[in-house]
Amino acid sequence: MDEPVAATPRHRPRVGVFVCHCGINIAGVVKIPELMERVRRMSGVAVVKDYKYTCSDPGQQMIRDAIKDDKLERVVVACCSPTLHETTFRNACAEAGLNPYLCEIANIREHCAWVTADKDEATTKAEGIVSTVLRKAEADQPLEAVTVPITKRALVIGAGIAGIQSALDIANAGYEVVLVEKEPSIGGHMAQLSETFPTLDCSQCILTPRTVETGRHPKIKLLTYSEVESVSGYVGNFKVKIRRKARYVDFNACTGCGLCMEKCPGRAESSFERGMAKRKAIYRLLPQAVPNRPVIDANSCTYLTKGKCGVCAKICPTQAIRYDDQDTFVEEEVGAIVMATGYELLDAKKLGSYGVGTVPDVIDGLAFERLLSASGPTSGEVKRPSDGKTPKKVVFVQCAGSRDSTQGMPYCSKICCMYTAKQAILYRHRVHDGEATICYIDVRTPGKGFEEFYKRATDDGINYLRGKVSKIFRQGDKVVVWASDTLAGRKVELEADLVVLATAVIANPEGVALARKLKTQIDTHGFMTEAHPKLRPVETLTAGFFLAGCGQGPKDIPETVAQASAAAAKVLAMFGSTKLTHSPTVAVVDEEICVGCGNCERTCAYEAVKVDEKRGIAVVNAALCEGCGACAMSCPSGAMNHKNFTKKAIFEMADQF
Amino acid sequence: MQIPTGKALARQIEELSGQVVSDCYQCGCCTAGCPIGEDMDPPPSKAIRLLQLDRADELLKSSGIWMCASCLVCGTRCPRAVDYARIAEACRAIILRSRQSKVDPDTVTAPELEEIPQQAFIASFRKFSV
Amino acid sequence: MKYVYYPGCTLYTKAKSLDACARKAAARVGFELEEMPSWNCCGAIYNTGSDDLAAQVGPVRNLAKASQLGEKLVTLCAACHNVLKRVDDRLYAQGNEVERDRLIAFVDEKYERRVQVMHYLEVLKNDIGFDKVKEKVTKPLAGLKVASYYGCLMVRPKEVLQFDDPENPQVMDDLMRALGAEPTAFDFKAECCGGYLVVNRRDVAANASKRIIDNARARGAEAIVTTCPLCQYNLDKLRAVTSDAVPMFYFTQLLGLAVGLAPEELGFDVNSFDPVPFLKAKGLL
Repeated sequence: MDEPVAATPRHRPRVGVFVCHCGINIAGVVKIPELMERVRRMSGVAVVKDYKYTCSDPGQQMIRDAIKDDKLERVVVACCSPTLHETTFRNACAEAGLNPYLCEIANIREHCAWVTADKDEATTKAEGIVSTVLRKAEADQPLEAVTVPITKRALVIGAGIAGIQSALDIANAGYEVVLVEKEPSIGGHMAQLSETFPTLDCSQCILTPRTVETGRHPKIKLLTYSEVESVSGYVGNFKVKIRRKARYVDFNACTGCGLCMEKCPGRAESSFERGMAKRKAIYRLLPQAVPNRPVIDANSCTYLTKGKCGVCAKICPTQAIRYDDQDTFVEEEVGAIVMATGYELLDAKKLGSYGVGTVPDVIDGLAFERLLSASGPTSGEVKRPSDGKTPKKVVFVQCAGSRDSTQGMPYCSKICCMYTAKQAILYRHRVHDGEATICYIDVRTPGKGFEEFYKRATDDGINYLRGKVSKIFRQGDKVVVWASDTLAGRKVELEADLVVLATAVIANPEGVALARKLKTQIDTHGFMTEAHPKLRPVETLTAGFFLAGCGQGPKDIPETVAQASAAAAKVLAMFGSTKLTHSPTVAVVDEEICVGCGNCERTCAYEAVKVDEKRGIAVVNAALCEGCGACAMSCPSGAMNHKNFTKKAIFEMADQF
Repeated sequence: MQIPTGKALARQIEELSGQVVSDCYQCGCCTAGCPIGEDMDPPPSKAIRLLQLDRADELLKSSGIWMCASCLVCGTRCPRAVDYARIAEACRAIILRSRQSKVDPDTVTAPELEEIPQQAFIASFRKFSV
Repeated sequence: MKYVYYPGCTLYTKAKSLDACARKAAARVGFELEEMPSWNCCGAIYNTGSDDLAAQVGPVRNLAKASQLGEKLVTLCAACHNVLKRVDDRLYAQGNEVERDRLIAFVDEKYERRVQVMHYLEVLKNDIGFDKVKEKVTKPLAGLKVASYYGCLMVRPKEVLQFDDPENPQVMDDLMRALGAEPTAFDFKAECCGGYLVVNRRDVAANASKRIIDNARARGAEAIVTTCPLCQYNLDKLRAVTSDAVPMFYFTQLLGLAVGLAPEELGFDVNSFDPVPFLKAKGLL
């Protein structure tokens, strides 16, 4: 490490201050020549320069030249927020041979020019900001980035189309992927769909090549019917504990012949069929299940609950039934984690006036998909739940709980306009004399081919009625819908045989629970928060955790696949280097003073500092430390300090006022 | 009291009702759920549209605002929490305060007076008479 | 247990027998309604105008009067309950301190404390408990398929009344169950009957009421029970009376019947046709 160049009375480091105009963002408010004059008079300042757009190439060159020509030992750039260009200017300094951590940003834009109206006040404030940052720069020591090793294996949580895509991309690049899925087989909600918009591709037909490839990929370790229990460690070095739930079926002995399922007397509500059918106690989600191995649901199995039956064990040709199965735990070491926990639909019972739960012929979008699906409970024939008759009039209700700040979700669920148009088209394909009405507020068709698909729906005679539905109730064997025609300005009463609600897309509650357990960020609606909404949509603020799919927000299949590949690319970028670097402005313990009281450990939100019981002092894990400074503030003895944010430096900065 | 017009009228309606008319995105749920909806002209969502388009004068001349039973279904189910019942009441209040009645108590017949619960008269006159 | 009782205009005059029935039923169940002296009009229907202080004066005076006598004010009428509770809520809304002080200073009755406004149904549910009510039942309404019609004023606005779920309320259904009857689920429990529109647009109120009755009947109801004298009137008297019309009861009539009051004490003069033959046919009399 370099000799510390301390700010002692004998030698003050030579500081170069570079004032950026940022076009008129700063120069329009701060009087630049005045500011420069005042800065020039500050002690320690060797040179002051200004430039219109310092972040540009010539601007950076100016800094690099000044470092060499004026023998600068510290650099202060008075410009925009460090979140934007701190890295830019630190890189520029590094290229000129100056340690990047001796370069500091004085934010005179967001903290000054953008929030101050009066020019003189702004100029004085800018002067104050520069003078404090000047003191910090002088106190700075050269630092080297912390390096951590990387375990080049990835964990993907959730095996819907998002998790599958990420896992395949990472595995095809040659790295091992542990893919964890809580259901007995993979495919997520896409496996429940009949056809997809706007191409009307059969969902299973485009999904199964991926699921099969995933199932037999040599680099993908597929753990179905499993859940992540805990994650410890830090980016590049995670230890993951996974619960493998008891299947009661020996995975290797079972051949997937299906005899057990034929004979099983147990029944339970099938969550896959969304309430449209029941399943057996020993079951698989769908005929094309990957892996093709059933599991026993202990709650509905007569043998496991009452000790009677046992038919499946008797009939299994390979004696694969294991009634004494237990949950087991495995531990995996990975370097990166992709969260692809997906979505759910809002429980429509929350929409009290829509009759869900009391009127059997009011169902949600996914339930209707199961009725449309060839492998569904009615083999693709549209039959209504109450009496199995073919509905001749179907009313589709959009925005059932979306765009609703009072009873549902305030946001738009993005996919419903398109899938409702699709469902209406498919319904009319199956029932040629059927009548479909779609009650909507707006029709949102932003994707490729979407507007044309909407036209296809209206061309087919599907009635679009503009008005949000207020009430749905039963009248005899019909379902009455109170809607309105806002374009004609009147109330409308519709009579239907079946009503399909496009209920709001919500974050999968189990994904939300997992995010809370793993302490990754979620927003008020439970969707996972990206690091930056525009420029970093697949990363999180927790290093090593990436996002893909509807768990981050409602989106359709093409967007999900794109995002999943993007997340995989981020993982591969991490795996592409030999080591990871981490900012060195971390906490540091003075071991002579520390008594091991543990205040820092209790304060740390990142679990980055722990008291070593044997040595009786706190030890900082530099790879986990995010440099927030909370521990240094909570340390009663003053043993904890913060590299380049030392208490001495902070007091000197404060002294400027 | 003079009835204001134009923007001043719109402002007074918003103040009296406490509703922000620009919050309404014209979904039509209020009209769909109104028990009187078929007989109200203009129905709730259309009435709010008139306000949004600076046509409050027309709304004040309409019959619809005198058909509201104050059952509050509109405001309860509105996804933007806009309460049409309060808007209708504000419109009526502005007219009533200019000493114009809609329901004349003198037109109630003796048999009606005999039979109908007096709370109906009190409520009706409170909302529609001056 | 004594409660300060506010009858309201209709229950004091045209529906007096319902008031008498309610008091007798209360006595059987274990509480007493003591009518507050010199009460004035409750102020139905609640005025929503943001500057309409004059309309608040009457109700505030009632609340003040009640506060001198006790902590709870019980009404039997959904309309009275609605307006008194909303006035009380507005009085104590955050930011309304100046308005509150003005109103309290203005009325000529001393305002002792904030009073809890309750509907008779809430007394039965929260203070007595439907289990206790069930214990007092001597003539269970066995086999009576009754649809509970709450009306709009009983449940909305939800945040203020905090009475029950406005889309599918259950409180009165639970009471009917406690009385031994079979509550019928139907879809128009809290949809408006037309209310005060009966004065100038009888046809509109008749339509709204007919829809409610038709739906209840389609769902299998043999009788309908109400909580507001105006709803009772609109549903009962606006229909073309036919021989198979469903009987319309006020909830205290069924309560009284179940706890052993005699038919003469149940205020059947208020009903559009005598329900005694119906009740006899059901074996309830």
